[in-house]
Amino acid sequence: MDLLILFGALIILLTIGVPVAFSLGLASLATMVYLDIPLVVAFQRMAAGMNVFALMAIPFFIYAGELMNQSGIAERLVKFAHSLLARVRGGLGLVNVSSSMMFGAISGSAVASASAMGSTLIPMMKKQGYDADYAVNVTATAATTGLLIPPSHNMIIYAISAGGGLSIGSLFLAGIVPGILLGLGLMLVTYLVAVKRGYPSGTFPGWSQVLRHFIGALPGLFTVFIILGGILSGVFTATESSAIAVIYTVIVAVFVYRSLNWKGFVTASINAVKTTAMILLIIGAAGSFGWLLAVMEVPVQLSTALLTISENPLIMLLIVNLILLMLGTFMDMSPLIVITTPIFLPVMVGIGMDPVQFGIMLILNLGLGLVTPPVGTVLFVTCAVGGIRIEDTLRSIWPFYLVFIAVLALVTYLPSTTLFLPSLFN
Amino acid sequence: MKAIFAQLTQQLARIAIVISTAGLVLMTLIIGWQVFARYVLNASPAWSESAALLLMLYYIMLAAAVGVYENFHLGLKVVLDAVPTHIRTRLEVINNSLVIIFGIAMLVNGSRLALFTVEHIMPALNISRSFAYWPFAAAGLFISIFALERLILAITSENSINPPKNTEAVKR
Repeated sequence: MDLLILFGALIILLTIGVPVAFSLGLASLATMVYLDIPLVVAFQRMAAGMNVFALMAIPFFIYAGELMNQSGIAERLVKFAHSLLARVRGGLGLVNVSSSMMFGAISGSAVASASAMGSTLIPMMKKQGYDADYAVNVTATAATTGLLIPPSHNMIIYAISAGGGLSIGSLFLAGIVPGILLGLGLMLVTYLVAVKRGYPSGTFPGWSQVLRHFIGALPGLFTVFIILGGILSGVFTATESSAIAVIYTVIVAVFVYRSLNWKGFVTASINAVKTTAMILLIIGAAGSFGWLLAVMEVPVQLSTALLTISENPLIMLLIVNLILLMLGTFMDMSPLIVITTPIFLPVMVGIGMDPVQFGIMLILNLGLGLVTPPVGTVLFVTCAVGGIRIEDTLRSIWPFYLVFIAVLALVTYLPSTTLFLPSLFN
Repeated sequence: MKAIFAQLTQQLARIAIVISTAGLVLMTLIIGWQVFARYVLNASPAWSESAALLLMLYYIMLAAAVGVYENFHLGLKVVLDAVPTHIRTRLEVINNSLVIIFGIAMLVNGSRLALFTVEHIMPALNISRSFAYWPFAAAGLFISIFALERLILAITSENSINPPKNTEAVKR
């Protein structure tokens, strides 16, 4: 009965449009009333969920991404990728994927990447004769590579949702291979579709131009080295390195690129505050929700239920992936990470999966949800930028989905895809 | 009366977002200072991390309350968008009433937690632990006020759809 109240209330509240954070909070309150637990516990757990040092890295990563958006770094990355790849058939598609991988690495937000890359590249692609649906498909799917290629604030959300015992450095390293595989796979599909549709190729500007644009993009790309290098070498904590990345970005944007003015700074700061408040309130509300899940032994019950379906871990992995995929098509990534991690992680660890591997599987899986209807924020944003309806993309986007499925299968069933790089550093 | 209330909430939201933004900038500077102090001055400040975290609680809770005013919190809009306007209006009334209930519960219980912990001292900052709970009480109050405004809007306007006042902030 308590389970029915917790999940029933959550589903009803979400369906009628109550924001995720309040749905989680209200469902927890209702269950606590039923179980006769004092309501003060809900808010004590909420405060505890937000009183975590590692949580501070999330606002800093989001802030750094917003500042980069305002300072025109996206265009410099596009210029560099363009000088290198435009000569290939369908070159602009490849430029799109590779610059998204670089930008996604820096900003970590798929939505920010889709809007930054889309507004630069989609008009350029359309002008050179690429179809709008192709431009949108490439931009939207490529934007999700940044979720896996470190640094990525979603991995910090996962690390915190997993109880805070996971190394953020290991998670970042674990995302590299799947992120690059996803990017390369998307490039392959981008190229094949371009050949089939007979898209044009550009000219090669010469190595001196490539070098010039590389130097132009370098100060922006250096942020990744500050964050990753800082964390892996132990010089900075994740929180410190992300704060340094913010300060570094401001310095580069103001003094090197000279592209950030006061107005841009204020806009970036306000956007960062709002996005952070949205995510951290959900994490806080999930603090009491997650506590109830543990008290009610939901993961144990779920394991038992899954075991009645099959005792084969491979089948269980498949079932969990299918559940996540289904949830991902309806809900956004960060709330799903905080809701599903405490439910599924103990089950997955129980069948012998490494928590780091599960984290990457979860993020990749939910990343696919960002580019699928009915709720696919990244696909929506990109369609808006490209000026087409979502229905128009669906006929031609499926080959790109296949790449996600292939990488997801590798991540799920071949642990070394994720765990090899972290093992080198441990 | 309604106009005065609307003006009040607008000012409240504006002040809250200015304070929150200043909080984020200050938090960045505190952690930046911590790194500078450790590597350049060779003296790690004991207060910096705890102070930055406490600051974050304040500005996040304040901005989260503004999120109710600006309707930027993440939620499922599929059903709301699909139903006819009169049903949507009713759902808006229910939604905002529920958010008010949550806000009041947060105000009451946040205050209780703060009052329980007045005597406890946070070691790194040497101040009362109740400072970590007051943001929740305050946010509960602001959330209730902002949701009340939206509730009144939903009840009074016949075809109230309450479009988000700021859509661009919906990023993760």
